Amino acid sequence: MKSSPKLRPCLWDALVVLLVAALAAACALAVWGGHSGSGPLTAVVTVDGAEAERVELDRLKGTAERTYSGGGYTLRVSMEPHGGVRVEEADCPTQDCVHTGTITRAGQSIVCLPARIIIRLEGGPVDKDAPDVVIG
Amino acid sequence: MKRFAAAALAALMAAGLSGCGWQTVDPDEARESIQVIAMDTVMIFTTYGEKSTHADYLSEDEVRRLESLLSRTDSESVVSQLNNAGGLGISVGEEVGGLLAAAEEYSLATGGAFDITIAPVVSAWGFTEEENRVPSQEELDGLLALVGPEHVTLDADAAALTPGTQIDLGGIAKGYASDRVAEILKENNIPRATISLGGNVLAWGDRPDGTPWRVGIQDPQNADRADAYAGMLKLENAFAVTSGGYQRFFEADGRTYHHIIDPATGYPADSGLTSVTVVADCDWDEVDGRPGVGTMCDALSTALFVMGEEKALDFWRSGVYDFDLVLVTEDGRVVVTDGIANEFEASEESGYSYEVVS
Amino acid sequence: MKLTTKQLTLCAVLTAMALALSYLENFFPLSLAIPIPGVKLGLANIVTVFALYVLGPGQAMLILLARCLLGAVFAGNMNALIFSLLGGVSAMLVMIGLSRWRRLSVYGVSVGGAAAHNCGQVAAAVLTLGNTAPLYYLPILLGVSLFTGALTGLVTACLFRALAHTNLMRE
Repeated sequence: MKSSPKLRPCLWDALVVLLVAALAAACALAVWGGHSGSGPLTAVVTVDGAEAERVELDRLKGTAERTYSGGGYTLRVSMEPHGGVRVEEADCPTQDCVHTGTITRAGQSIVCLPARIIIRLEGGPVDKDAPDVVIG
Repeated sequence: MKRFAAAALAALMAAGLSGCGWQTVDPDEARESIQVIAMDTVMIFTTYGEKSTHADYLSEDEVRRLESLLSRTDSESVVSQLNNAGGLGISVGEEVGGLLAAAEEYSLATGGAFDITIAPVVSAWGFTEEENRVPSQEELDGLLALVGPEHVTLDADAAALTPGTQIDLGGIAKGYASDRVAEILKENNIPRATISLGGNVLAWGDRPDGTPWRVGIQDPQNADRADAYAGMLKLENAFAVTSGGYQRFFEADGRTYHHIIDPATGYPADSGLTSVTVVADCDWDEVDGRPGVGTMCDALSTALFVMGEEKALDFWRSGVYDFDLVLVTEDGRVVVTDGIANEFEASEESGYSYEVVS
Repeated sequence: MKLTTKQLTLCAVLTAMALALSYLENFFPLSLAIPIPGVKLGLANIVTVFALYVLGPGQAMLILLARCLLGAVFAGNMNALIFSLLGGVSAMLVMIGLSRWRRLSVYGVSVGGAAAHNCGQVAAAVLTLGNTAPLYYLPILLGVSLFTGALTGLVTACLFRALAHTNLMRE
């Protein structure tokens, strides 16, 4: 046996616990603190109810291409820096998601029902004149 | 063991500490927004107030309940049971009975422009099967013989269809759902909310800043642009429902066929309109969870789209129902009735010409 | 590295145990609460801690690498490899460091390892998704690691006590 460890927890262990906790708190501040208010424009992709990905559009360097799959169908999505998300191509029967075109502002979304995929924009600058909800 | 307890305590405290960071929601605004796919559409429930989360999930449950009750594709639903009863009378329950009665009323009031028995014709065009085709005139003639409110017999909770007749409550289901959700908002003291059920919107209360909710009407000519509006409605406590041919369509032989079928011809309504938005007040005192203003707006938006501009405005002027209209025409005009002219904001970049009628 | 037959056997048994634990983890899907693909509790760290003390860092690392590779092969998912490798190796390095500090018990070492494990997993998620979104879950995962770390520490301590009088512990 190389070394015999202590098997009972001691106060020094509490130090490790505190260190980890402090790290967690620091991370929480760093990661979550900046998200108050509206935050940066972010594309939130959910597949069958579960959040699959969040893409902060302002951080993209050039157009990003992503594919998402659900319900046996695959969507090819392009995302532009600073807004502009569209479904380029989908093999779903309805093609509603492709017809939706480009979304650019928080609150807008692209949905593919057969694939159960929702792409929604959140955050971004607050525009008081932008609609709260769109019908049609 | 004491030390272990101390360590466990420290761990718990630390977890509690990091747990504090969990609450990232702005405490000034108890706001909850959920998105749900139901009734073949996307629904967004955004509610404010202490019980916002509760109200959102109650609403989702309610919508799912209605879907399983009214769906034509779910063979277990009451509507399917009635469609499959082969002409025999069955008990449909008070709720579906009430909806059938409401549907009959709107059917008669609109001279058949709204009709729940159009279902087999819509199916013939493939709008329920997702495999679109253009049916032959003979096929349509055969199906149209079984279309009309007289093919539904309703006696309180019991209903029967003429053999071969099929109904689809899709034309009022979302409107009725909005009436039900309004009841949930009322029961849970929700001060403000926007409820979007596909083309049906309920603007409940006002915005947190005290101004009316801004409801954009999708520009039918740019249906693929989510930020193109034919205009903006500033609404407080109101239902608004839009029907438009651009919402679901297919192309065959160079022609475009949309999903709103004119019961008179069996063909997609060709009335010169590209979208109809019906707006009506939502009086909190009158919200009781029964088919109400939301249901009415849903039925009328379809019917008035079929009728076309002239007939729709005549119907509005008749004053049978209390509502207002925003019509978008194929020739690039947006017609607003004077009851909501002050609540309507034109969209400058849209290129439409705007007119107010009285 | 020269291994005695006993050491080799022990390594093999521990690798098999670690694989079994990795499989067992699938029944506690952490991903339900934290939707990052590939993030796991890290039960296999029990074996890592144990091996670290009984066999030393070198062999413990061998077991870890074997576990990660075999696990990915069995799962048929090479994407999972980067998760388990980054998580496992980070945990290993931190625990090697912490175990040198004799004042710490297995609990402290395990908690440090679990925290490092989760950091490594999040790093893997950031790399594979090409997106910093998973960082959002790091604070939660670090909080969770306090419990999973204490749990692995407890199990390891029990293991040592149970095996204290067997010839496994005598070299």
